Amino acid sequence: METDREALTREFLAESTDLLRDMEEALVTMEGALPETAAVDAVFRGAHTLKGNAGILAFDAVVELAHAFEGRLEGLRGRHPVDSGTVTLLLRGVDALRDAISCAQVDRTAALPPSTAQVLQQLRAAPGAATRAPTGAPADAAPPDERARTLRVDVARLDEMLNVVGEIAVARGRLTQALSAGAAHGGDELLEAYGDTERLWSSLQELVMQVRLVPVGPLFRQHRRTVRDLALRLGKRARLVLEGEDVELDTAVLDHLRDPLVHMVRNAVDHGLEPPEARVQAGKDPVGTVTLRARHDAGSLVIQVEDDGRGLDRAAILQRARERGLPPEAATHDADVYQLVLESGFSTAPNITDVSGRGVGLDVVRRNIEALRGTVTLDLRPGGGTRVTLRLPLTLAIIDGFRVAVGEHTFVIPMGSVVECLSLPGTRQANGGSGGVLNLRGEALPYLQLRNAFHLGGPSPTRESVVVVRYHGGRAGIAVDELLGQAQTVIKPLGPLFQHLPSISGSAILGNGRVALIVDVAALVRDALRGDAAPHMAGGETA
Amino acid sequence: MLNQTDGAAQYLTFFVAGEEYAIAILRVEEIIQYRPITRVPGTPACISGVINLRGHVVPVVDLAVKLGQPPSLVARRTCIVVVQARAEDRPLLLGIIADSVHQVVDLRPEDIEPPPPFGVRIRLEYLTGMVRMDAKFALLLDIDRVLGTEELLGTATLTAAEAATAHAAPSDVSRL
Repeated sequence: METDREALTREFLAESTDLLRDMEEALVTMEGALPETAAVDAVFRGAHTLKGNAGILAFDAVVELAHAFEGRLEGLRGRHPVDSGTVTLLLRGVDALRDAISCAQVDRTAALPPSTAQVLQQLRAAPGAATRAPTGAPADAAPPDERARTLRVDVARLDEMLNVVGEIAVARGRLTQALSAGAAHGGDELLEAYGDTERLWSSLQELVMQVRLVPVGPLFRQHRRTVRDLALRLGKRARLVLEGEDVELDTAVLDHLRDPLVHMVRNAVDHGLEPPEARVQAGKDPVGTVTLRARHDAGSLVIQVEDDGRGLDRAAILQRARERGLPPEAATHDADVYQLVLESGFSTAPNITDVSGRGVGLDVVRRNIEALRGTVTLDLRPGGGTRVTLRLPLTLAIIDGFRVAVGEHTFVIPMGSVVECLSLPGTRQANGGSGGVLNLRGEALPYLQLRNAFHLGGPSPTRESVVVVRYHGGRAGIAVDELLGQAQTVIKPLGPLFQHLPSISGSAILGNGRVALIVDVAALVRDALRGDAAPHMAGGETA
Repeated sequence: MLNQTDGAAQYLTFFVAGEEYAIAILRVEEIIQYRPITRVPGTPACISGVINLRGHVVPVVDLAVKLGQPPSLVARRTCIVVVQARAEDRPLLLGIIADSVHQVVDLRPEDIEPPPPFGVRIRLEYLTGMVRMDAKFALLLDIDRVLGTEELLGTATLTAAEAATAHAAPSDVSRL
């Protein structure tokens, strides 16, 4: 019995997360307009379903709250434009429902937490009185996303997979037969049977990867509320425009995109957009626009967050860079200047936030995205404003990697950052053996020895090769003993013991069954060029 | 595995750096033959690296180094004991390099004696007790203490200097 209840509760939690999110989205669209019956109905239906489900599980507090919510909503049908006070109240109602559900999950008979009880009072109060509801519960106070990691899958896709699995079973039978017949039959039949199995396995792999794809739309739409609440709190006016909502991406990438996106959207509203008066003075629409855009581009996924605000203050950034002692020669192009903002430590200083209007959390965004083997670039939007562009791999599960060897160690360099390979000239300009500068067709190319960077020890061979990589802000060489070539590898997480390792982003399992480490190119080059002690002093410095 | 009548439990014993250690068999996931370990740059010397265990990447600890002995050398009977440890309150599989695995013994609570205050080469807080084995003693390891994430990574600060010199030594590659 208890297990039935547990299963039921789990299902309720998953479903209510979806319901509440949909209700939230619909509420935000209502604001400032004559409530469309459809939108009100959608929210109403959501609340009603929630009430019913909570009733089955005897979550009394949730039922009570949902009932008050419904009552309040009832009064809105076909009435005047919904004012933002009411929308705020209803949004707080959604938050309260969320809280109540997580409380009920722990203790079914729990009373409402005080803040939630207050919302209940307001929902019950006369419609006129509630317009004085406090402005916007901060959207970032929302409880962390702890929903079960589930995925809805089109049954047709599962059927397809089942078909292939069936075929694999047959092909395996054939393979076994051919194997047991042994040498008598010769290799041809064996090879053919094996070829069939191989083909089927790769189509199964393909199907599994497809099943993991989800549209980016729901994630984007959550930010309607972020933008609304934040703008309201800051006394600004903003709208959120979404483009490419149907672009699909791997569910794991989507999960990792959640936090960076919140940072970027908040940044755009908080620092990018000007207050309405300033916008009018500048001859702009008093309502600022934040655009979230997704599209596929050459095997990767591009996400852009754009605002039509005041843009970046180039002079202030340069000033700040000089204060921090960053090499000024690195910052002659505009693109390089803006990239400085993404440097860690750069953004935490309060004055850069005030002067340039940028920075909070952008280094966090960069770190998150680079952990996904993606890149972040910051530039000015044509026509004024700022644009942050994220470029991400379509999946996290498989990496197109370039394998290199140093001594007996094999490392994988993500193919996306490899530009070219060359052999290290014998007359290289040595720099204490730890790296130096190469002449690459007339251009100076700094390079590092992977052996030294990772403290692998052992003698260098007489002939070394250099992999030229690109990282944000430039190119660099990585000297290795041997180039082993390109291969697709399945990525495996390294686990909690290694989560703070600099310069290593994960691991991959090689054809021979051994584990190879994946090099975090940006971090490795950054540390090496800065002349930091070395990534091998792992423990403390990454904190 | 647990014998209800006399409270006996089974323990696996194995040798590391000439000393016999015992751990509760319920914590032992499996014992595998030694296989090449991929070293991970930037980790303390007691973490030998990672192996591929049927598609899972499992960290391997050189208990000898952890307990202050010279690194283990690979020989014919070297194996990896895969145990269930915990990292930040979540289960984590970890491999321990053992020079050889000895036996599985039934131990009752009264068989286990408190560790001696001196005369043992390792730190007492890593032990839960000791057991008489024929002529010698086997030391009962507290896995959660020895293999805690903090404990494993914490040594980085202590041995960073040693590690640096060890890394510089040319003999380094021939080690685990």
